[in-house]
Amino acid sequence: MTLHRCRSLLSLSLLSIFLFSCVMAQKGDESAIKEFQDRINNYLSAKKKQDVSRKPTDSPDKLAQQKQQTAEKTKAARPEAHQGDIFTPGVSAYFRKQIESTLQGPEGSRVRASLRHAEPLPDVHLQVNAKYPKNLPLQSTPPTLLKNLPPLPKELQYRIVGSTLVLYDMASGLVVDFIPGAVPAA
Amino acid sequence: MKQSRVTIYRNTMLLVATLVLGLVGHMRVAQADPRAVVSQAASAGKLDIRIPLQDKSVRFAVIGDSGTGDRAQYEVAQRMEAYRQATKFDFVIMLGDNIYGSHSPKDFVKKFEQPYKPLMDAGVKFYASLGNHDDPDDERLYKPFNMGGERYYAFRKGEAAFFALDSNYMDPKQLSWLDQNLKDSQGTWKICFFHHPLYNDGRHHGPDADLRTQVLPLFQRYGVNAVFSGHEHVYQRIKPENNIYYFVLGNSGKLMTHDFGEARERVKGFDSDQSFMLVEIAGDKLYFQTIARSGETIDSGELPRIHP
Repeated sequence: MTLHRCRSLLSLSLLSIFLFSCVMAQKGDESAIKEFQDRINNYLSAKKKQDVSRKPTDSPDKLAQQKQQTAEKTKAARPEAHQGDIFTPGVSAYFRKQIESTLQGPEGSRVRASLRHAEPLPDVHLQVNAKYPKNLPLQSTPPTLLKNLPPLPKELQYRIVGSTLVLYDMASGLVVDFIPGAVPAA
Repeated sequence: MKQSRVTIYRNTMLLVATLVLGLVGHMRVAQADPRAVVSQAASAGKLDIRIPLQDKSVRFAVIGDSGTGDRAQYEVAQRMEAYRQATKFDFVIMLGDNIYGSHSPKDFVKKFEQPYKPLMDAGVKFYASLGNHDDPDDERLYKPFNMGGERYYAFRKGEAAFFALDSNYMDPKQLSWLDQNLKDSQGTWKICFFHHPLYNDGRHHGPDADLRTQVLPLFQRYGVNAVFSGHEHVYQRIKPENNIYYFVLGNSGKLMTHDFGEARERVKGFDSDQSFMLVEIAGDKLYFQTIARSGETIDSGELPRIHP
């Protein structure tokens, strides 16, 4: 076997390994996204069974009552909820990768500047199925980052609290799940 | 010598007592009725009005970062009411942070309903956009904010089309909605308002460049004429960029004094008092007047519509 042929074979093997790992990574991503979406759908189904809905009103008292009822029913819909129910290890790994690639990519410095200019929050104690900390503003989530994360139904939002990515239920004001340390420091 | 020391002591005590009593008296007057000064100015017909008040024009007021429930918010609200009586504006756009802190029923009353009661009693409608201190779900459902149950929405007033955006959460779905609604809009004037400014000389927050890269191409493509934002607790009129006029007004309740650095983007800035804006759209002109809590007009002008 000539040296040239050996080199060609080696290059071909490396290329195959690279392509194979790309395909596997893509499959891994697809499976993480599917798992995430399935868990989100389960969450919404559980909420739906509790007949949770809010209606526009003139009355701040009614708004507060509705929110309280919605929070109680949503909590009751998954009494055993804990961190990692939705952001499983596989799903978390996918989210961490997406966030890291956004922050390290060509738009990273702009996204970080956007986070700094909003109203950065410190890391605070969060609990799944508990109220988002009272009086704490909701940090805006940079649009470029939102483009790189799986879409969410209307009821839910991604929010950043310190270095944590939070899945937030708007109607109930509850923390659905979170990934600590998902937003690496600059 | 001893007598003169006693005299000095007496005089000093007298002076201190006078100062203390004077200060207490001043505080009592100030706390008694913060609206008195405004009412007197209004009734005396001393309002400085710099918008033309043309027939069939669209007239509105602008407030941003208003919902503190503090005395300053109430005084701005009273000043607005005095100007409403004179200019007959019939709606207000809110640039976010409409309710700071907790969102209990009492907060809605103290930080919105009570200060703006005279305006609402006169039929003025408020159109809110969401800031980072707002509760998105409570406020979209609160009917006096006229959000139609949505985080972002559009409405029309005469020849002007308004687009209230949620800059806290500019997801692809909202961008797609904005694209479609700007495209379909028949408004001669297209006005967008939202919380986070695209251009901003204020040192506390600065501009949101990531938001800008997403929304500006749409604003340019569909001929948005003016953009109003809050967040930075000052007033700024920004140099027109790409044929669009930008205003930052985040000091209708909160205030960040000495907030300006080098003037890169702004034509006019004001960071020493709370303020609100009056805007009138008539034909191809947009007239504006920015009024401080004290009643002083801090900026005014006439801007032509640049887009055809």
